Amino acid sequence: MELDYLATVLLSSLSSASILLIATIGLAVVFGLMGVINLAHGEFLMIGAYAALTATQHGIPFVLAIPVAVLVTMAIGAAVEVLIIRRLYGRLFDTMLATWGLSIAFYQLAVLIFGTVTPGIGMPQFSVKIGNYSLAGYPLLMTGVAALAALFVYVLMTRTVYGMKARAAIQMPEMARAIGIESYRVNTLTFAIGCGLAGFAGAVLLPIVPATPSMGFAFVIKAFLTVVVAGPVTLTGSVLTAIGLGGGASVTASFLTSVAGDAFFFLITAFLLWLYPLGITANWRSKM
Amino acid sequence: MFRIVNATGGYGKTVIIRDVSIAVDRAEIVALLGRNGVGKSTLMRFAMALTPAFSGHVEIDGHNAPEAPARRAKAGVGYVPQGRYVFPRMTVTENIAVAAEANGHSGRPAVEAALRDFPMLRPKADDLAGGLSGGQQQVLALARALATRPKILLLDEPTEGVQPSIIDEMAGILKRINRERGVAILVAEQDLDFCLSIATRAYVMEKGSVRLETDRESLRTNKELQQQLLGV
Repeated sequence: MELDYLATVLLSSLSSASILLIATIGLAVVFGLMGVINLAHGEFLMIGAYAALTATQHGIPFVLAIPVAVLVTMAIGAAVEVLIIRRLYGRLFDTMLATWGLSIAFYQLAVLIFGTVTPGIGMPQFSVKIGNYSLAGYPLLMTGVAALAALFVYVLMTRTVYGMKARAAIQMPEMARAIGIESYRVNTLTFAIGCGLAGFAGAVLLPIVPATPSMGFAFVIKAFLTVVVAGPVTLTGSVLTAIGLGGGASVTASFLTSVAGDAFFFLITAFLLWLYPLGITANWRSKM
Repeated sequence: MFRIVNATGGYGKTVIIRDVSIAVDRAEIVALLGRNGVGKSTLMRFAMALTPAFSGHVEIDGHNAPEAPARRAKAGVGYVPQGRYVFPRMTVTENIAVAAEANGHSGRPAVEAALRDFPMLRPKADDLAGGLSGGQQQVLALARALATRPKILLLDEPTEGVQPSIIDEMAGILKRINRERGVAILVAEQDLDFCLSIATRAYVMEKGSVRLETDRESLRTNKELQQQLLGV
């Protein structure tokens, strides 16, 4: 086996891991940090994708369409938190049922508005040559995007006043109120940021994963598993898990078949959860 | 300065405190005594607006206190709950800084001031609060409440599960803060000695109501009363 082929496999696996991480990071905030099981999370990704697609169709450059998608999904996320999630904190099954219903509604809305088949926007054309092989540049770019997204959430949550308030309001909402933090408002914002990150994922991945009403399903299962395996130190854990599981699955897939790649993902997930029922970071003493 | 007026409250439909009135003057330290389950904690939560009020209200400086806990905290009520409730996955520094920032004070000087007041927290400054000992968490909860720069401090069983040396240190710090910054303190306690060492006046609760109001001297000398009301 040639070295350039190996390098190609590693790079494309790293970019698959990054794509998984980008799709997961919003869930790391909403589920990992806040503990809200939002089964409509994948649909926020889908909404982000359609928002970016619609924006580009109206002549807005793709780079500017991404912040549009973030704002749209944040606004919808804030509304969902106020109308549904806030009333159900601490009620796990009710939250799941309500957000599952929401996901069906979002899916059907997308079918009604956009139909089941939509045009892609075409991958920005540039590529990287390694030996005899050539890799599309945009998916490789996702490694940088994933790193920046993770860094953004880390800095936001650990280095800003909002981040401290957000973690306090999540960890002990009543006590946070008793020292002057408006827990309700802060939690709404945190949930909206999580949804905005999903919208960011849908938008930034649009050239790779075309917008379809059902695209959320493809991501949400692996994203949930990634966050569950990550455990309480949710952000660092998710980065490690996405690289390990997503990257490993992709390497397996390129040497064997894509089915083997998925099998790898789910078997290793099951194995890790058997070893660490509370997630791989359960005993870590760090914040994020 | 701080008054709880005709407080009646509880959980669901259960009334736990009935028609309780309490007043704390500026820079005064007042104890709230009584056995387990007489409603001391509920009264504290009522004062912080964490327990729904069936009737009655709270006044700060002669004005009605805001109804939302966050706004009541900003109006000058500092709260140290029974069981401390520090934010476990935040560092000691963050626990203090977030309390200051939530009330519009900048975090860094607040943390510096707190570490000066409570030197025992300094070596733990970057540790997660959840990993501290019970006594350290209690001191942190106190430092956090002070970082909001309260006019009145509500302390709910601050000595529970805390080793004697730290209790003495806490009493000293509370007296100093009360003297230097004029912070009033209402402390719910079962530890009579601790109360006698800091408070000048006391209310004794029984079955959800205030049974009597007394000063330190009569409480200290009246052994029969101590026996009867507190079981000490």
